[in-house]
Amino acid sequence: MNLIDKYIAEVGKHLPRKQRADIEAEIRSTLEDMLEERKQANGEVSEEQMIALLKEYGAPREVAESYTGPRYLIGPRVFPIFEMVTKIVVAVLLGLALVKLGLSLANSSLVGIEFLEKIGGSILELFGGLITAFGNIVLVFAILERVLPAKEFDEEEEWNPAELASEPDPDQVSIGEQIWGILFMAGFLVIFNLYANPDAWYIRENDWNFLSLRFTDAFLSYLPWINILAILEIALSLYMIRQGLWNATTRIINIALQLAWIVLSVLMLKGPDLIESTAGFSRIGNLMASVTLAIVIIVSSIEVAQMAYRLMKSRPSPPYPVMK
Amino acid sequence: MENDELVQNMLLELRRGTLSIAVLSQLTKEQYGYSLLKALSDKGLEVEQSTLYPLLRRLESQGLLQSDWRIVDEARPRRYYVISAQGKAVLTKLKREWSLMAETMKQMLT
Repeated sequence: MNLIDKYIAEVGKHLPRKQRADIEAEIRSTLEDMLEERKQANGEVSEEQMIALLKEYGAPREVAESYTGPRYLIGPRVFPIFEMVTKIVVAVLLGLALVKLGLSLANSSLVGIEFLEKIGGSILELFGGLITAFGNIVLVFAILERVLPAKEFDEEEEWNPAELASEPDPDQVSIGEQIWGILFMAGFLVIFNLYANPDAWYIRENDWNFLSLRFTDAFLSYLPWINILAILEIALSLYMIRQGLWNATTRIINIALQLAWIVLSVLMLKGPDLIESTAGFSRIGNLMASVTLAIVIIVSSIEVAQMAYRLMKSRPSPPYPVMK
Repeated sequence: MENDELVQNMLLELRRGTLSIAVLSQLTKEQYGYSLLKALSDKGLEVEQSTLYPLLRRLESQGLLQSDWRIVDEARPRRYYVISAQGKAVLTKLKREWSLMAETMKQMLT
C-alpha cells in the first residue's frame, strides 16, 4: 500500500458511505495528476516530495470535511427548539424536585441527620433526573437532526414585524397579581382572626346542630406568625404597586418572605391537627388544611424559583443613560 | 500583523464569493478538476483543491454542471465537468450582476 492509498483510505474514513467511493476516486485522480506534473518537472518523485505533496493537499480529516461540511449532533436548524425544550424540562424537573422535597421534609423531623439525608437525597435525585432527561432530549433531537428532510426548516414563513408581541419586561410588576395577592392575604387575615375565637364557630350549633369546626390550640400558636407574614406580604405588594419594577432588593425580600411561608407551612403540615370538629368532620377538615398548605408550599416554591431565576438573570443596564 | 490577518480573511471571503462565477465561466469547455485548477491559476486565481472540488460537486448537485468519468488518451480515469444549459442561463445573469456590482464598487472606491 503506497502513501497515496494510505492517504485516501484515511480521508475515506471521515466520508459518508454513500459518497465515499466517488470522492476517493476523484482525490486519487487529482493526486495522480499532481504527481505526474511533478514527475515531468523534476523526474522521479522521492518519498519526501510525496509527503510534501500530500501535506499540500491537506490533512485527511480537513479534506473530508471540505466535502461534507461540519457534521452536527444537533444542528443549527433544530437547536433553538432543542434549547427551548431543555429549558422547559429542566424547569419542570426543578419544580417537581422542590415540591417533593417540601413534602418529604414535611414528614421528617426537620433536624439532624434525617434532615441532611433528605436534602442530600433530593439533590442527588434531581441531578440524576436532570442527566437522564438531558440525555433523552439529546437522543431525540440527534435522531430528528438525521431524519428531518433538509428543507423542513429552510422555508421561513413570511412574517410581519407588526405582529411581533411587545417584549414583556421581566422586571415589570404585575399590578393585577399584586392586587389579588393583597385581597387573598386580607381575606385570610380576617377569616383566621375572626374565627380564632372558638365561639364564632358555635353560633348555630344549638339551633341546628350544625357542623361545628374550630381551630385547635396548635393552629392558634401559629396564628401570630401567619399574621406577621400576611402583613409583610401585603406591605410588600403595596410597595411593589407603587414601585412598578422589581429590583434585586425587593426580589430578595420576596424570596425570604416566600421561604418563610414554606417553612411555616411545612411546620404546620407535620405538626398536630389544626382543626377539630365535634361532628366527625375532623379528618376532612384537616385534609383540606393539608391540601391548602401543600398549595401554599407549591405556589411559594414556584415564586422563589422565578424570583431567583430573575435575580440571577437580571438584565444588564443599557450602555446609555436612561430617563425615568 | 493583526491587520494582515484581517485582510487575508476578508480576501478569502471575497474570493469565495466570486469563485462560483469564475468556475462556471471556465467550464464552457469541459475540464477535469486538476486542469481547471491550472486554468484558474493561469488566469491569476489561485484556488485550493479543498475549496474547488467540493464547489464542483455542489454546482453539479444544483444542476449547473454536468460531469462524467472518462478515460481520455489512455490516461487514468478522470472526472470531466462541463457547464449545463441551466448553468449557462445562470452564468449570463451572474455576469450582468457582476458588472453592476463592479461598477458600483468602482464608484464607491474612487
